[in-house]
Amino acid sequence: MEKALYNPGKLDRGILMDPRTKLLLLITVTTFALGGAGGRRCENLVPVLCMAPFLLLFTAKRFKTAIIGIILFWGSSTLLTFANAHNMGGFLYYIILGSCGVLGRFLPCIMMGRYLMESTTVSEFTKAMKKLHVSDNIIIPLSVMFRFFPTVIDEADSISCAMKMRGISIGGKHASKMVEYRMVPLMTCCVNIGEELSAAALTRGLGGEVKRTNICKIGFHVQDFIAISLCLVPWILLIVDVVK
Amino acid sequence: MIEFENVSFNYMRTDEASVKNVSLKINNGETVLLCGESGCGKTTLIRMINGLIPHFYEGQMKGRVSVDGTDTTKAELYETAKVVGSVFQNPRSQFFCVDSTSELAFGPENMGLPEDKIRGRIDSTVNSMKIRDLMDRNIFEMSGGEKQKIACASVDTLNPQVCVLDEPSSNLSLEAIEDLKQTLLDWKEEGRTIVVAEHRLYWLKDICDRVVCLKNGETIFDISMKEFKTYTEEKLRAYGLRSVNENLSMIPIKTEHMSTETITFEKLFYNYRNCDALQIDRLEIPRNEIIAVVGPNGAGKSTLSKCICGLMRGFRGNAVIDGKKLKSRNLLKNSYMVMQDVNHQLFCETVMDEVILGMDEENEDRAFEVLEILGLKEYAGRHPMSLSGGQKQRVAVASALLSDKDIILFDEPTSGLDFYNMEKVAQLISSLRGQKTVFIVTHDPDLVRRCATVVLRLENGHVKNTNSDGEMKGYGTEKEKCYSAVV
Repeated sequence: MEKALYNPGKLDRGILMDPRTKLLLLITVTTFALGGAGGRRCENLVPVLCMAPFLLLFTAKRFKTAIIGIILFWGSSTLLTFANAHNMGGFLYYIILGSCGVLGRFLPCIMMGRYLMESTTVSEFTKAMKKLHVSDNIIIPLSVMFRFFPTVIDEADSISCAMKMRGISIGGKHASKMVEYRMVPLMTCCVNIGEELSAAALTRGLGGEVKRTNICKIGFHVQDFIAISLCLVPWILLIVDVVK
Repeated sequence: MIEFENVSFNYMRTDEASVKNVSLKINNGETVLLCGESGCGKTTLIRMINGLIPHFYEGQMKGRVSVDGTDTTKAELYETAKVVGSVFQNPRSQFFCVDSTSELAFGPENMGLPEDKIRGRIDSTVNSMKIRDLMDRNIFEMSGGEKQKIACASVDTLNPQVCVLDEPSSNLSLEAIEDLKQTLLDWKEEGRTIVVAEHRLYWLKDICDRVVCLKNGETIFDISMKEFKTYTEEKLRAYGLRSVNENLSMIPIKTEHMSTETITFEKLFYNYRNCDALQIDRLEIPRNEIIAVVGPNGAGKSTLSKCICGLMRGFRGNAVIDGKKLKSRNLLKNSYMVMQDVNHQLFCETVMDEVILGMDEENEDRAFEVLEILGLKEYAGRHPMSLSGGQKQRVAVASALLSDKDIILFDEPTSGLDFYNMEKVAQLISSLRGQKTVFIVTHDPDLVRRCATVVLRLENGHVKNTNSDGEMKGYGTEKEKCYSAVV
């Protein structure tokens, strides 16, 4: 079932890492793999960083996603090297360069983001943000977003079922109105659920003046230190580069 | 414990008051049932007890409501939350966390209790409600009954003196209702004051001490459960109530099938990542009859209905109608599901646009005919979202009729409906008999006995039609034998 998307079930949480480590990993991967910071000095490190999200997905037992990701990632980079080596030119080369470049850069970041979303519970995330002294004005909307993701996916699923039954599809006669037909019921349902949800949260004492406790246990372990040291290498290289 | 003094309320943007001059006193430890037809003001009263009115739902309020000596209209919501715990109708929109353990901790965390105390409370709740196996799980993957248990448990961890429940059984199967009943009995034993607003009354007759019935926002009677049980069926109907001694047997109407044609489903197999959800080799269904699909939560009812509608990806089976073999894609063209949340399937700006959307040739005259039959003609120009729940449902049925589908499937069409509305739905479904093959996925025995002509009971993905259904689940004296098991 697609329902498992974006929310951690009991069994497949993978190795437990502190949400802060995961965030650091996400930032590092995006900066160096997507942003290409660090230049030549980090060139050899980037593939290692790019493999991290796939490895993590493996530990979370998302084998299919991880394997597809790895094949796509290595396939695109091999194709690019191949094209470079044969001095290809012209239109075909640009297409390969464009698509493989985008794929190779975006894929690891998307996978890392997905891992973060799937393996972190709302409370863990909130607690991590609290420990980072992030303001409540940022934490609350973010945690609500976390909660809302599965709901929106659920609703969108039902709506697309309803659309299929009515024969509204790409290639059908109402193709031009696809977006409208999808968005209108989705908005209505999400607004309704949102209202019920806030009512339920309020009756359970959200918004009181006392300081909220959080029973989640988060903290740094061996795996966190390994991941953090991996992340620190490119950052140090970058800083050294800038200082010089 | 709870006191209403001449309370009236109107919601914003409505002219009529939802509650008019109600005075009510509920003593400590009492268990009260609030009943009455839809829109009679039950929910409004519940919302006043937990303070959502006037703090969350705005409107004009007169009078005074006090719980345990404090005025809920003046006290902040998080103050009231310490005394009053609430369970709502819809299990999917009342939990704030994604995993069950954090959900149980959510209330006490908001109170700022120390960590070890919270853990202690979770532990005792888990033990008393026997939900150890539900801990640390993803709530989105739970069945409706399990979700409702988590909702009750998360109220329990706050340890409130007053518990209010707003139609908690609407989306539950008969088995899940039994669990809910046990929870309420435990709470009663602990001396909590409980107020339940409900349409289905049978499961509350051993729990509640007192019954308050409302109509158009006014109390019409306030009596003991003992006296209430003596009310005749006719008297209950006059108040728009369902039976207290509900007959829980799922028995089809005794009638000859209208034709000898059948629809045959072959290879109804489906499995999820780690479990088989559906294993039916061959299923023969009389055509143009009304088939009720019943069974406990998680028996494969919704998987079956998705397969029938051709909505299940990777479903390899097929159906034979009129000697033609239909695969998933053609099943999609031939069937229509009226979903539990009808809002999912209303797309257009007017009812008229909505119903002609799926027609092969847009024929307004025919559309008017069908709307007329369904009593929707005067609403043709209205926006579908502005209609009432029952009307929306009928719009969905109208579009199914007009798009020439063979199979119409209703997913829990009567959850949360009072007697009148349930009967209306039953009439609507009965009127389709002979024209369409109708499947109803339901937990509602009243509905089954009113319109189904075939009952299909699913258990663990297999069809299990046993004759003992009627006897096993018969509350009170009525014991009937399930006479036909057509498969």
